[in-house]
Amino acid sequence: MAIVKLEDVHKTYPLGKTEVHAVKGVSFEINKGDFISIAGPSGSGKSTILNMIGCIDIPTNGKVIINETETSGLSDKQITTLRHEVLGFIFQSFNLIPVLDVYENIEFPLLLGKSKMTKAEKSEWIDMLIEEVQLESWKNHKPNELSGGQRQRVAIARALVTKPEIVLADEPTANLDSVTSDAIIRLMKKINRDLGTTFIFSTHDPTVVDVADHIIRLKDGLISENYRQENPKSFGGAE
Amino acid sequence: MRDLKIAFRNLTRQKRRTILLMAAIAFGIYIITMINGFTGSFIENVSENFSNMLAGHIFIEGKEKTDSGKTLSLVRNDDILMQAIKETNTDWKYLTKRSDLSAVLIFEGEDLNQSVTGADWDVEEYFKDRIVLKEGSFADLQAEPQGIILSDKAADKLNLQIGDRMLVKCQTYTGQQNVGEFVLTAILIDSSLMGGSTAYANIDYINQLLNLQPDEYMSLGIFLNDPDTIDETADALYENLKTKVNMFERSNNEEENKILSMLKQQDEQEWTGLRFQLMTLNDIMSEVQQIVNVLNTAALIILFVLFAIIMVGVTNTFRMVLMERTKEIGTMRAVGMQKGIVRKLFLYEAFFIALLGVITGLILAGITMFILMQINWGMNTAAFILMKNGYMTFKLSVPQVLLNFVIVSALTLLAAFFPSNKAAKLQPADALRTSN
Repeated sequence: MAIVKLEDVHKTYPLGKTEVHAVKGVSFEINKGDFISIAGPSGSGKSTILNMIGCIDIPTNGKVIINETETSGLSDKQITTLRHEVLGFIFQSFNLIPVLDVYENIEFPLLLGKSKMTKAEKSEWIDMLIEEVQLESWKNHKPNELSGGQRQRVAIARALVTKPEIVLADEPTANLDSVTSDAIIRLMKKINRDLGTTFIFSTHDPTVVDVADHIIRLKDGLISENYRQENPKSFGGAE
Repeated sequence: MRDLKIAFRNLTRQKRRTILLMAAIAFGIYIITMINGFTGSFIENVSENFSNMLAGHIFIEGKEKTDSGKTLSLVRNDDILMQAIKETNTDWKYLTKRSDLSAVLIFEGEDLNQSVTGADWDVEEYFKDRIVLKEGSFADLQAEPQGIILSDKAADKLNLQIGDRMLVKCQTYTGQQNVGEFVLTAILIDSSLMGGSTAYANIDYINQLLNLQPDEYMSLGIFLNDPDTIDETADALYENLKTKVNMFERSNNEEENKILSMLKQQDEQEWTGLRFQLMTLNDIMSEVQQIVNVLNTAALIILFVLFAIIMVGVTNTFRMVLMERTKEIGTMRAVGMQKGIVRKLFLYEAFFIALLGVITGLILAGITMFILMQINWGMNTAAFILMKNGYMTFKLSVPQVLLNFVIVSALTLLAAFFPSNKAAKLQPADALRTSN
């Protein structure tokens, strides 16, 4: 079942007096539980497509359907609620809130909407996520006291805290060394497998692309390849 | 709670900048609080000092029109006045009887125009504390029937020493020339505002010079136990006296100056015989109240001008904050924060700055006031009329402080609103694309 569906999506940005066609008519479907990589060189439109799937940017033309909801007809409030309930985000430069500690950063999205969890359940869930990303002894530290890998692990936990159906990760390993990158991808893959969360990540790193079971390759704003991988590369003990 | 926590923590991100903004707001509040505190006690102090100088809270004067059309101030028989005071259950502390004389003092070829107030100093005990004597004492004045207390300036001009006798040239209340002699019994320090220009003598001798009977006088002053009841007591006395004697009408028009209104009646209306006029300290103080109103208005204008400048700083600071935190705003919006909450975060932050600034300003103003209130500035300064027994006093009203707080908070929030609104309207993707 398609959890994300893009139909002839275009995106044009004004750049001074000219316009940049970042995405030139892209259509694809992503199934629930996929671990999907959107790959391509810089400027190919990866981040733009990810932003449109994440409803933080709107297409110039075409349809973006998330969980059977066509997003173009939604108000800003409805889109924000959709983002909060259905989507989780992992950013290239982590984007943690500097004044909050690890626990508070992870808790933050939970405080933004109505949650069915009780206070105790929330606390237990956050602690479990912290344990999952192996930051138990760092839970009261501020982001500036953490390494890049630790920060990205906090970002992953934050993305998962609302139990979203889709997690979007924009170049999640671009700012990390290869060992840390492997650990992060392994973690994402484990969560994908354990929780059934759909992971969509953009990358230009071929070794990271190979881990995905569904690969969409972009070139100049168009899909050059869209295929499923029978035997994705495994990382350590993740598979 | 979450928004408040984040907003409060955001204050600590750029401590120096937050402190500077707070200091600017605190300075504004400090100035306005000092002005408000001063004007708050201004009326009270001036009123008290005036009541002491003028010997009462309510003044009743008899006015007689002579055949030549001249108006004389005189209370020949105060039985009716005393009866009215009794009938209205006036709660008085002192009843003062005074006669005033305009005289020329002459000593060894030098002369000086001088107004001299005659009073019964046994009754006006309180007044002795209001005058700072350089030499001599009130006891000396009371012991010498022809005694006089002059200001140091007057004594210097006439080259007088304690015990010197001087000639006094004056007119009786009917306008006939009269002469007499004063003996300098004490010298007071000239405060240049009220006391110094007046000399003080015993009422019996002043009456003698004015050719009044010993039990006659010019004005009756009533000191009330509770100065807050001046208006109601005056109204009751006026209504009572109106049934017994002819009275100059007291204007009920708030816009009209009551004293000027009565003087107008004396000068412009046709009247004969004896009439009484009743004035209160509040009638005099209404003019002072106008000064206070002007001061308060000026203070409010200063507040607005000061804060208009501070607000420019607040707006610029929040624009900088917006630039610094654009990416963070994008992140928060991406993870599900609604526009309104983004706006609230900025406004809470601005409110905290205003709140801390106001508290700091109030504390500093409180400390300054406390220190100033401990200093005895003395009675021999020109500003003594504004002080209480030589000490500065400050009086702040809670509504005034709250009003200032509301104005400052509203202006700060207004200054922060535009950057906050801009932050709230940022598209998450655009915000996330910034390099900050």
